[in-house]
Amino acid sequence: MANSNLPRRIIKETQRLLSEPAPGISASPSEENMRYFNVMILGPSQSPYEGGVFKLELFLPEEYPMAPPKVRFLTKIYHPNIDKLGRICLDILKDKWSPALQIRTVLLSIQALLSAPNPDDPLSENIAKHWKTNETEAVETAKEWTRLYASGE
Amino acid sequence: MDSDDDMHDANDVESVEDDDDDDEGFYSDEMGFDYYCSDDDADVDYVIEDDAEDFERIHSRRPENNYIVLKDSDIQQRQDDDITRVSTVLSISQDASGILLRHFNWSVSKVHEAWFADEERVRKMVGLLEELVVWFPNARELTCGICFESFPRGRIKSAACGHPFCSACWAGYISTSINDGPGCLLLRCPDPSCGAAVGQDMINSLASDEDKEKYSRYLHRSYIEDNKKTKWCPAPGCEYAVNFVGDNENYDVSCLCTYGFCWNCTEEAHRPVDCGTVAKWILKNSAESENMNWILANSKPCPKCKRPIEKNQGCMHMTCTPPCKFEFCWLCLGAWADHGERTGGFYACNRYEAAKQEGAYDEAERRREMAKNSLERYTHYYERWASNQTSRQKALADLHQMQTVHMEKLSETQSQPESQLKFITEAWQQIVECRRVLKWTYSYGYYLPEYEHAKRQFFEYLQGEAESGLERLHQCAEKELQQFLTADGPSKEFNDFRTKLAGLTRVTRNYFENLVRALENGLSDVDSQGTCSGTSSKSMAGTSKGKGGRGKGTSRTGGSSKNVDNVGAATPVVPILVRWLGSSSAHTQRERERERESSGNRKNNKRPSFQKLAELWIVGGVRVPKLSCVR
Repeated sequence: MANSNLPRRIIKETQRLLSEPAPGISASPSEENMRYFNVMILGPSQSPYEGGVFKLELFLPEEYPMAPPKVRFLTKIYHPNIDKLGRICLDILKDKWSPALQIRTVLLSIQALLSAPNPDDPLSENIAKHWKTNETEAVETAKEWTRLYASGE
Repeated sequence: MDSDDDMHDANDVESVEDDDDDDEGFYSDEMGFDYYCSDDDADVDYVIEDDAEDFERIHSRRPENNYIVLKDSDIQQRQDDDITRVSTVLSISQDASGILLRHFNWSVSKVHEAWFADEERVRKMVGLLEELVVWFPNARELTCGICFESFPRGRIKSAACGHPFCSACWAGYISTSINDGPGCLLLRCPDPSCGAAVGQDMINSLASDEDKEKYSRYLHRSYIEDNKKTKWCPAPGCEYAVNFVGDNENYDVSCLCTYGFCWNCTEEAHRPVDCGTVAKWILKNSAESENMNWILANSKPCPKCKRPIEKNQGCMHMTCTPPCKFEFCWLCLGAWADHGERTGGFYACNRYEAAKQEGAYDEAERRREMAKNSLERYTHYYERWASNQTSRQKALADLHQMQTVHMEKLSETQSQPESQLKFITEAWQQIVECRRVLKWTYSYGYYLPEYEHAKRQFFEYLQGEAESGLERLHQCAEKELQQFLTADGPSKEFNDFRTKLAGLTRVTRNYFENLVRALENGLSDVDSQGTCSGTSSKSMAGTSKGKGGRGKGTSRTGGSSKNVDNVGAATPVVPILVRWLGSSSAHTQRERERERESSGNRKNNKRPSFQKLAELWIVGGVRVPKLSCVR
């Protein structure tokens, strides 16, 4: 199967993710495909996403680590850099990717993005506009969505 | 001498030989016109002396050009020289010098300036580290930061920073970057926190042959593409580049591949029309091309027998196949016989006259009519633009055919050395260049405002003259040459043919020079000659001569602003050209007298026609250098 030829780097990364998980982040490979990870990120404290549990999927393409992993939110989230399909606008997932980065660093960066939305480099125009014109109200909506869609089971 | 006839002679095939005398006489006939006669004898030379001129002169002007065409090897040489220069001056490695230059768009002076202003900042920005960031003094094995495998020290490579990666991961990293595009030229250490530069030396020691090849091609291209003073020749398949060193407004560039283009906008050379007009025109063409394709399907029905005709040669003189044999003009579909000046008509094929229908149209009808007219108007200009484009392509092919196939044979059959046959290639070169100019004058004409009546008429007159001259030349080169190509031995008529073709080439060149000059002046002579008669011709001579080179206009972009100024200063004097166009009632007694004086020995004392006036303007003009020709 695909799993039989798994590069040593992926095995090592997976082992480390499972044995020493980063705080607020869990990532475990799927049974059928060791390149596919089920990810959960806890909404960072003091952010509109606090208390939420966000599910993501992460896939390591054939070229990994020369090419970046593919990551997307499965849980609905109100965030200027994440669109309604869950795609994430993050430089290290695109042109700033480096093979010296890892799954762990990617997920930590996504967690940081939840703490610090960047409406100046938006993926979702409407949300970004909302954020810039009325931040308080936008934050309220984000909190509301967190309650509605990310409150665990 | 009858100047009416003289004027026609200047255009006339049969009398090219007499041109010189006639023109001189003609010129002196007109001494009375105070705004023409102010010039010196040099202007007479302009008409007389041309015979000896040939393309050598154009070529000998090339070193004065404000650009240099670079071949592959030239580019390599310059790049290497620049790298060595920076490396020597800054006492750094060639590799580091290359990295610096790439960051500063290959500007040696900018590298020097930045480096000596703040070396540390530049080093940091570019990633030229002076010491290791990480080091492992005692480790015998190191872990690759990408595959996480352990390797003996010897198999681990690092940039100047020391971050350890194995050769295989380096190769993968470099390959990915190279396949992503020219960004690989600014490659850094894979460690995301590290900015250490990865230069060509490392690429060469770690990448596959294929990747190395790609990398050096990117490097080669970058030298041209990142440098503000160089551009690739835009001709398909051409690998030459052009280094533009001038700072004036003449952007015409002729690549060694023979393609002529505008350095500023990289569109095909479009002198005398400015870049803005060309861009507008090209945009318009692409927007309306579907219509045009439909309208200008490749055939037209013969105006007489209605059989569809496909144009298979370059000139506009069409002859329907027997039994019809009707001769007509491809553009206006009128009988060719009507195109001659002697038949009482004049060459009007360049002229657009929307049929003005009087009558009671309702609003919708009127709007429909307007839309149709606007399309018709555009079609008119587009068609002529495109036809000349096609003719030019055809002429280029004919020129090539002439040089590669016919020349040798012709030299044999006519027992003439090839050097004696240069007049034929010169004629073709002139045709190619004139087709180009003529083509662009149609986009100029499209944008020339309708309300500028005087300018339009003057423009159309000059264009029409140039065009009919060119048609004669093209026809002569295309059709009359045929008999000599198929002849078995020397023909008596060949010398006559030489005289005729060389004469036509010269005459046509003059017409086009005048056309180009007038357009580059924004047709300002229509405005200015009335107000400053007596000096304008002289001052024009001054500027044109002073510039040397290629009769540069000063109004490439702002031709009309000058005229606007003149409107303010225009005073009660009606511009002369307009006056002669207008009704004679506009003439004051004084003016009539002056005209009568100046007409001198002319038989009938009628006032000069507009046609004549423009002609005067042409022969009375200054000596202008030849048009450049695509080689």
